[in-house]
Amino acid sequence: MMDRAIRRISLPGLTLAVLALFLIVTVATGIAVLAANRVTVVQLVDRRVDAIADVVLERDPGEGLPGTDILLARIDALSRQRDTGDVGLALTRADGTWAGGNIRLRRPLAPGRSDLRAEDGIIGLSHGRALVRDAGAGRRLTVVAETEPFDSYRGIRTRIYLIGFGSIILVVLGGMTAFALLVGRRIGDQRATVEAIIAGNIRHRVPVTGSADEFDRQAAAFNRMLDRIAELMETMRGQSNDIAHDLRTPLARLRGQLSAMVAEARDDDQATRAAAALAQCDTLLAMFAALLRIAEIEGGDRRAGFAPLDLSALVEETATMMIPVAEDAGHRLSVTVNVPMPDIVGDRQLLTQALVNLIGNAIKYGGEDGTIRVSLDAIEEGIVLRVADNGPGIPIEDRAQALRRFGRLDSSRTQAGHGLGLPLVAAIARLHHGRLVLDDAQPGLVASLILPGR
Amino acid sequence: MSLHLLLVEDDTAYAQGLAAELRALGHRVEHVGDGRLALAAMDREQYDTVILDRMMPRLDGLSVVETLRARGITVPVIMLTALSMASDKVDGLEAGADDYVVKPVAAEELNARIHAVMRGRRWTVSENDTIRAGDVVVSPASFRAWRGGQPITLANLELKLLTELARHAGEVLTRAMLIERVWGYDFEPETNIVDVYIRRLRVKLTEGGGADPIETIRGIGYSLKP
Repeated sequence: MMDRAIRRISLPGLTLAVLALFLIVTVATGIAVLAANRVTVVQLVDRRVDAIADVVLERDPGEGLPGTDILLARIDALSRQRDTGDVGLALTRADGTWAGGNIRLRRPLAPGRSDLRAEDGIIGLSHGRALVRDAGAGRRLTVVAETEPFDSYRGIRTRIYLIGFGSIILVVLGGMTAFALLVGRRIGDQRATVEAIIAGNIRHRVPVTGSADEFDRQAAAFNRMLDRIAELMETMRGQSNDIAHDLRTPLARLRGQLSAMVAEARDDDQATRAAAALAQCDTLLAMFAALLRIAEIEGGDRRAGFAPLDLSALVEETATMMIPVAEDAGHRLSVTVNVPMPDIVGDRQLLTQALVNLIGNAIKYGGEDGTIRVSLDAIEEGIVLRVADNGPGIPIEDRAQALRRFGRLDSSRTQAGHGLGLPLVAAIARLHHGRLVLDDAQPGLVASLILPGR
Repeated sequence: MSLHLLLVEDDTAYAQGLAAELRALGHRVEHVGDGRLALAAMDREQYDTVILDRMMPRLDGLSVVETLRARGITVPVIMLTALSMASDKVDGLEAGADDYVVKPVAAEELNARIHAVMRGRRWTVSENDTIRAGDVVVSPASFRAWRGGQPITLANLELKLLTELARHAGEVLTRAMLIERVWGYDFEPETNIVDVYIRRLRVKLTEGGGADPIETIRGIGYSLKP
């Protein structure tokens, strides 16, 4: 449960959450330390003020509070002493007038403890605590002490706190950003490799920095896995080439014999049957050619020969070339190329083959008296080459199957062809970092070859 | 036309089959099993064409062609290979081979290609010259063609097709060869493009009367009557 919740949190989300928590805790700590500091200082000052008031108002055993003269004398004595010289003392009479002391107050203070500020007009005091005590006969003793050990103490303290906690926050922020960047870069390296491999470049590997850290070990393990996969693929490709070759050799001999039979046939019936066998033999050979071609494309080596090309011209030329072929089969073929088209980088031969294949498919499966529309358009994603027919189309549930090798649909199995046409086009699309999409042309099939722009 | 051919192929069973088929077509065929023996054989004898397997022990096909060309020996070479990748083909042609065929190849196809490369060697004319085949005349440079002195209007591709047929008049050009040379494709389309264009060409060539000058060789290809 917890595990699942943790997995669901994204890395940036987690980073932000930790940062926010850290900020809250840091600020709270700062405020708490500040508050504790202030409370402690106030308590200490209050205790000192109490003690001094006790000294001034000390009475001899069995007697009442001393007279005003004595109190003033004590205040004077305390004012001269080094350790109590900073304490403000004032004695007021019952009528509220000042009787003596080393300070004068601007406002009457309530009995008991209170806070003082700079506005109270006591020289050298910006923040302080005051204690007003009854001194007998309506007189009052006011004791004042600073809560700041030196001038502008608060400002300095605030600055220290800001610099201290601020630098901690900056260090943590910087550290987390660096960490996120580092992790992001190393994971990005892996993702780039995975993308390259999906795109068919099986030789791509994750860079190893040589630091032997977790990421390096992960990258090395990943690369070993890729080496193994590449090795297996190489073996498989070799085997399929060998198989294709081994099968093609006897097929070629068979083909030779069949064509001799066609030539030497004694009557028409024999000739027709031999010709039918020859045609099937050719289908098989074409199938091997297509399989090997797909293997070649999926190997990705042809990317090395990619060059900038004018797709509009290629499509116009190829589709126009196919018009007589379509007409020969009783179809109409129209070509619409919307210029200007962004230049693309690709393999001229393969893109031509893709278009010839798609048009060939439309001719073959497009139904009687079909209309085939070839169009090239610029879209947000890049370029889309569409070949639409008005035949029976392919039901939505069968479209994925149609793109798979040997995935030709049962309903069309009676038709000639080897069923590798669409998978071949799909492989060509993938080689160009694009894709082949089959859709409903209402009625008919529209095959869209989508190529990314530059 | 009986030709003296050298077949260089390390797969003995395949080589014997192919040699038998080529002999059946009327050629004299010698077979050697590797590249060094091939170079030695060419020191002794003159051949009309060499059919050279690409992958062989000791000395491979590419090295053999390079050695031949470096020695100034210009005998036509058809490279034979099990590798069908386009890049392999480019390598083979760059090394100096005249044509490149994927194994297995039908004897008729190979025969057509042998004649084509030999014919190519005899060309001393430039593209500017007109080509004559029977009463058909083609001028590739000026994009024009005539039959029996009457001009024929041809589309670009049709003219290229007629040019190729006229250049090899009397010889068979297979569909694969036409797709390669006229269309410039490195793949064989599933659709009958060649047949459709040949039909159109026939219609245009016979519009002004006269017999069809293009002969269909069933299951193999086409030939323009010389």
